[in-house]
Amino acid sequence: MKLGTTFILWSAAGAAVAVGAAPLALGAIGASNASVFGVAGVTAGLGLLLGAPLAWLLNRDNDRLNSAVQRMNDEGLAFMPRTSPFFEGVLSPLRVAMDQSVSDAESVKARVRELEIRSRITEGERGRLEEVLQSLQDAVLVTNQFAELRIANPVVANVLGLSIPDDLNRSIDQVIGDETIRKLLHEAHGTGMASHRKRIEIELPNAGSNTEGAVRTYEATLACLPDPNEAIGGVVLILRDIQREREISQMKSEFVSKASHELRTPLSSIHAYIEMLLDGEAGDEKAQHEFYQIIKNEADRLGRLIDNMLNISRIEAGIVKAKFEEIDFVKAANAAVEVIEPQAKMKDITVRVKSGPLLYSAEADRDMLHQIFLNLLSNAVKYTPEGGRVTVTVENDETSGSVMATIADTGLGIPPDALPRLFEKFYRIENYKRVAKGTGLGLNLVKHIVETVHHGQINVTSELGMGSQFIFTVPYTRQGAMGIAA
Amino acid sequence: MTNTPAKILVIDDESHITHVVSLKLRNAGYDVVTAGDGEEGFEAAVANNPDLIITDLQMPYLTGLELSRKLKETKATSGTPVVMLTARGFGLTQDDMAGTNIIAMLSKPFSPREVLEQVETILAGDGATGNAKAA
Repeated sequence: MKLGTTFILWSAAGAAVAVGAAPLALGAIGASNASVFGVAGVTAGLGLLLGAPLAWLLNRDNDRLNSAVQRMNDEGLAFMPRTSPFFEGVLSPLRVAMDQSVSDAESVKARVRELEIRSRITEGERGRLEEVLQSLQDAVLVTNQFAELRIANPVVANVLGLSIPDDLNRSIDQVIGDETIRKLLHEAHGTGMASHRKRIEIELPNAGSNTEGAVRTYEATLACLPDPNEAIGGVVLILRDIQREREISQMKSEFVSKASHELRTPLSSIHAYIEMLLDGEAGDEKAQHEFYQIIKNEADRLGRLIDNMLNISRIEAGIVKAKFEEIDFVKAANAAVEVIEPQAKMKDITVRVKSGPLLYSAEADRDMLHQIFLNLLSNAVKYTPEGGRVTVTVENDETSGSVMATIADTGLGIPPDALPRLFEKFYRIENYKRVAKGTGLGLNLVKHIVETVHHGQINVTSELGMGSQFIFTVPYTRQGAMGIAA
Repeated sequence: MTNTPAKILVIDDESHITHVVSLKLRNAGYDVVTAGDGEEGFEAAVANNPDLIITDLQMPYLTGLELSRKLKETKATSGTPVVMLTARGFGLTQDDMAGTNIIAMLSKPFSPREVLEQVETILAGDGATGNAKAA
């Protein structure tokens, strides 16, 4: 009995191994069917080995055994006949083996499910990674360990002139035309160090420019990808376009340089004249008074310069507090003319405001509008010779839905090459520097107030020796002036 | 024997600056000529043959650097020392000064006393007559 039981246990174990192995290759094969074939074989073996007594017992129970196995096959392990101890002895290890088989099959099924889920997750992650690479503003390419192109996003394709997907899986020497990039990638591959990282600035041909030889500055980052053996599995190259940053940085630097020059000039006078007064070198009382007057004027100039710089800076930063109200432009023009009148009279210049019988009003900031008229009128008077005329015309421009004001003079006019630069910060027409003093910021401020704050427009037309016309518009309503702090 | 005062040309497009510098130098006994821009300065240099030129850097028509190069190239002024007054926040580089006779630089805002000291040092080294000799 014991021997037979042991044999059956072995056989059942063998069947279990077969059952356990089958799903690995074939998937969900019925575990119970395979077990039944194993049990039938076992039954035949027992009759031969254990002789007549056991054969008798088996014959007696054969039908019952077959029937039980058949029920087990049909009903599963839930059915467990317990009609005799022998039967129990045969089936008990079989049940253990089948339990094990079913458990193994379930475990394999679960693993397959897990692998399927993982595969879907990996696919999803890959898709997301591709989307991320596609949407990146930086240019990204990845090579494999053989220096072949494996991944390239649209930006890098554009910057380096790659054809994707045709150039994928080809050597970088065949697909990358730029020598610097090729050299960098080969250098990274050649280091043999998976930890290698490098960041440098390079210039590449400007793909978006029609100008021959135009370049853009990029920050190139190279990082090696390790393979499982800690060798180089590939290289990632990221190119970040820093051209705009460069330009802004240069503009800032130029602004600081110009601002510094403009601030130092009046400061120089103040410093020097005070020192002369202190040293008693100013001369008589009249000369001393003249010195004090120069110091005061230069201090005022310094103050205006600082005010203009701060106002421009506030408008540019979008933190200006504009108070919009309905303003009659004819009244606003007359108010500024009143301020400028004494200066005009000294040069015998006539200043007048012309308008029709209608109301010419728009929503504007009163102080800022006054500043526009004052700056334009002041320039007109400064650059108009004695006996000249300055005329302010106010009208409605129904086409653009704006009030339009024109400040025209009979002055020196503006050289054609200076017209495009006239509204730049600190720009001054060299030849006119001696005609009148200025900060070089007045027109820039006017442009900012008109266009940035009021969403209007400013233009200038001029003819040398004949005079200039500055024309600005302010929309009737603020609907076009969104985003301005009220 | 009467010593002739050294002649100094002061060039700046800011009239207040030419006024104050020339007053300081005249008070010290120098003969001073002024000009209001680079071109006018060049003409004054050729016409007056000064012992020293003090010029602003940023000026209309000709900058102080362009003027200095032109002076060096012109036979009559090729040996005239130049002192540069600059309102730029940084000094000139060696490359900037190549081909010029710029021997000193003063940054704006400047002190008239320092200008005078500089002038005296340069002219003393050059053997030209300064205020002490001219007085």
